Amino acid sequence: MRYLRLIKYFMLSSAQADLAYRANFAIGLLNSLLNLIVGVLGLAVLFSQVNTLNGWTFASTLALLGVYLTISALRGWFIGPSLEVLAGIEGDVWSGRFDFTLLRPINTQFFVSVRQWNWFALIDLALGLGAIGVATVQSGGAQPLSFLVAATASVAVLYAILLIFTALVFWSPGLLFTWVFDAIMQLARYPIGIYPGWLQFVLTWIIPVAIMTTIPATALTGDIQPMSLMGGVALAVILFIAASVLFRLGVRRYNSASS
Amino acid sequence: MTNSQIQVNHLVKTYQVPVREGGLRAALRSFARRQYDTVEAVRDVSFSIEPGEIVGFIGPNGAGKTTTLKMLAGLLHPTSGEVRVADHVPWERRPEFLRTISMVLGNKSQLIWDIPALDTYRVLGEIYHLTSTAYQQQLDELVELLDMRELLTKPVRNLSLGERMKCELVAGLLHRPQVIFLDEPTLGLDISMQGRLRRFVLDYNQRHGATVILTSHYMADVVALCPRVMLIHHGRLLYDGGLADLAARLAPFKLIRVGLSNGHTDFSPPSGVEILQHEDDHLELRVARAAAPAIMAQLLNTLPVIDLVVEDPPIEAVIDQIYQEGAAVLKTAEPPTGASEEGAL
Repeated sequence: MRYLRLIKYFMLSSAQADLAYRANFAIGLLNSLLNLIVGVLGLAVLFSQVNTLNGWTFASTLALLGVYLTISALRGWFIGPSLEVLAGIEGDVWSGRFDFTLLRPINTQFFVSVRQWNWFALIDLALGLGAIGVATVQSGGAQPLSFLVAATASVAVLYAILLIFTALVFWSPGLLFTWVFDAIMQLARYPIGIYPGWLQFVLTWIIPVAIMTTIPATALTGDIQPMSLMGGVALAVILFIAASVLFRLGVRRYNSASS
Repeated sequence: MTNSQIQVNHLVKTYQVPVREGGLRAALRSFARRQYDTVEAVRDVSFSIEPGEIVGFIGPNGAGKTTTLKMLAGLLHPTSGEVRVADHVPWERRPEFLRTISMVLGNKSQLIWDIPALDTYRVLGEIYHLTSTAYQQQLDELVELLDMRELLTKPVRNLSLGERMKCELVAGLLHRPQVIFLDEPTLGLDISMQGRLRRFVLDYNQRHGATVILTSHYMADVVALCPRVMLIHHGRLLYDGGLADLAARLAPFKLIRVGLSNGHTDFSPPSGVEILQHEDDHLELRVARAAAPAIMAQLLNTLPVIDLVVEDPPIEAVIDQIYQEGAAVLKTAEPPTGASEEGAL
């Protein structure tokens, strides 16, 4: 309960900081709309030529786009902004402001994961959820419960990967981890069914982009396989634990190495 | 363990720092294989501090002051040694411990820049789990003491350095910590703001009995606030005691300025008196501290004295002497007490 109240306060103070920069709002809105229009237009053009793409229909591809936009929006809403505070030149670890984070009597991982909220990302979230809604109606065979489970696993994997990159900052404070992550996220835009078999395996279990987008999207169109769902959940749990352990090690390193 | 608020035994901290020469070639070489130097930032430091004490922690840049403070605050693991602060081992960073301490840094901000300080305080109040009555009461008290109500609602980035420092102090003390680490809180502030913050620290200490460790390069801060100083140099604690005693030990003499009645320029010094200056009817003498009363009496008896002033050498000069010459100054002054003194520097 206490941690929920804290999140509320972090949200409020971030909202105030966001409102200090009004121009960003217009630019954020424009950026989000462009993202959606380009995505939908691309799909429309493609599916005016073919009916299915390696088994993927327009509805299922739209579902994938919706899931992609939604988890990108969640990342942009709080996971990204919060964790990015630590990274890069001028970041908290580089500058030593991380000291203040360590002085707070609350869980450090929780604190660094939820302290910044970018409210402009809600536009993305609305658009992503809209695309999911349209795709669900079009396909007609959604499995809501499986989708919720798959979506939770998806967000957990996204968070764990970002936390791993963030923890690396303790070894190399200038590291700009978002570049690497953005490249990985680009792969999540497309259904992994379009890739050859070995690459599908890599993109599901090694760099788990499939768990982030493809698997939840198949739950929306009713094509989900129980094995992938369970595997996705298991991997999400493992990654989450691994990321938390790495983060702890990173903090310990900061403790012993910084001056 | 005694009931000291802070207890430090044989504290040691060494770092590995990468070294390389200048130039691209050296940069490439160090990219492939890093070479490290071991830096002994803190060497075998021991002391204890009682509840409610204000202690000045002084020493030149790089002496190990901040490193020691960070170990006391739980931000750094020591290489070896024992530390207890408010009955906790700091680097375990237990929430109960973190709620009893605070650290205010003159060169780093803990406020959110784009919003007014008041909004940062609300978040801090929640982080420290203050009840709304406690929050309001503690905030009001601090705002009153610092006379800064009008600053609460301005975005922090629009504040002057002095104004921001007031806001930083409120942020640091809002949860009413019992142990406060102030690392150069008056850095870069103008004289009157420095004075104001000093009075505040003293007030706060007296009201709440908080233990304060202060580092500063402004001796005026230390003179005004700290009955006790610890002097650290090259990671070693060289002195721990009263500021006046430090001056007495380092500079075991007094300065005597004498004005003689018109035209009297004749003066032959008694034994044990060194003439620093002799201009017409003005004399500046240096005498051993212990001999000063007798010599003054003698001067008054034998000379037509119209003015006589006795002074301690300025504290800045004393401190500068140690910074320049290191431990040798203290060693030659008197046998050391309370400091760990194995080996020469």
